[in-house]
Amino acid sequence: MEIIEEKRGPLSTFKLQGRLDSNTSQVFEKRIFDAMSDGTKNVVIDFKDLDYISSAGLRVILKATKALKREDGKIRLCAMQDYVKEVFEIAGFDSFLTIVPTLDDALKSM
Amino acid sequence: MTFQTCMSFELKNNLSELSTLCERLERIGGALGIPRRLLFEINLALDELFTNIISYGYADQSEHSIRVCISAENDLLTVVLEDDGIPFNPVERLSPELPCTLEECKVGGLGIHLVKNLMDEVVYSRCGNKNVLTLKKAIEKN
Repeated sequence: MEIIEEKRGPLSTFKLQGRLDSNTSQVFEKRIFDAMSDGTKNVVIDFKDLDYISSAGLRVILKATKALKREDGKIRLCAMQDYVKEVFEIAGFDSFLTIVPTLDDALKSM
Repeated sequence: MTFQTCMSFELKNNLSELSTLCERLERIGGALGIPRRLLFEINLALDELFTNIISYGYADQSEHSIRVCISAENDLLTVVLEDDGIPFNPVERLSPELPCTLEECKVGGLGIHLVKNLMDEVVYSRCGNKNVLTLKKAIEKN
């Protein structure tokens, strides 16, 4: 998996490419938590080029969401392929996460 | 009982085999004409079950093989997963209460919840020293 990270003030945007599974989720978790130690309070995750997610990936998103909330931060997820979005829906994660259609929508809502 | 041609492969009990799983499924998916979305769902279900088996299934540190067998007949895809781990019936595991709020959300049991929801049918049996899990899913061609 490739992770492209852009940091602008307290906002970090992570663009994910490839597969977020048990093999790659720890790397992503470290990147998010490193950014938070480095002052990030708000996070946008761009799923446009993410082909695959498993419960290991959901676990990282959940952990990050809880940690950001404790810091009064925000998280937005965007541009998911429909079958990736289905995984979030089956897991019930769409009830407490904001998932928007485009990166622009996500940035505007911050 | 009709005889079905099954395409099978084996995975070692190591997380790095998740990429082998993906490659094998791509190849079999192409050969059997499985639609992409269904291939994604099968991959996810097998990923969750495989990750469970290698995380909790073995009492020793030895190498084990996990066998996957896939067949398609009459628009029905059947996947059989066989392992020689400790007896474990994921079908008996209750699905977690789905969270309404972030605070209520726990991740335990989520993998099996995904499997049950993605597949049409999940049947477990213990055969000798093996767990045999049969997954079925209708092939909807668009």
